[in-house]
Amino acid sequence: MQNDLSKRREDEGLSQGELAEAVGVTRQTINAIERNRYDPSLELAFKLAAHFNCSIEDIFGPEGQ
Amino acid sequence: MADHRIIAAGLTRQKYRGLVYGIAGLAILGLLAGFVLDQHFAGTIIYLLGAWTAGGIAVLAPMLSEATLQDERDWELHNRASGILIGVTMLIGLSMLPALYVLDAGSYIEITGTVSGVIFTLSALFLLYGVCLGIAKRRI
Repeated sequence: MQNDLSKRREDEGLSQGELAEAVGVTRQTINAIERNRYDPSLELAFKLAAHFNCSIEDIFGPEGQ
Repeated sequence: MADHRIIAAGLTRQKYRGLVYGIAGLAILGLLAGFVLDQHFAGTIIYLLGAWTAGGIAVLAPMLSEATLQDERDWELHNRASGILIGVTMLIGLSMLPALYVLDAGSYIEITGTVSGVIFTLSALFLLYGVCLGIAKRRI
């Protein structure tokens, strides 16, 4: 799965740690998601979508799309 | 709950890990020191105290802390590591144990008490793994 989490976070001027704190995970988890090394749970995906006020599909999508 | 959170206040993920691994490391050192210095009982007491303290902190601190000390990725890492460990051990066990017993029966090698102990321990672990898998399946 690919995502544009890094871009969205930087657009908001947030550090990985600040975003992590906002959605209740560790900075390492945000870093792993941004590097496409970890696919978040549905619960975390919903939290991220809620934080950026968009849908999950806006942030995450299948590889190659 | 608010009082409990004060107890764990200021505990960061880095400090939490350092504390757990540090105490566990000291416990192991204590056990080895007791063995080397012929103070087996004292070494065992130090080890048990350290292991229980580190284990208690590892389990309780994430529940009592305001900070996120563990999250879903940590559990995923544990799951993957456990899967790899079981897979590798099972592969080695299944491929080697029957051969060992056949060679033992043919008097090419002798399965000593130590090897038997290892085999029984591994068998018990696999049995326990099966039980745990059964429990986990009931929840998913």
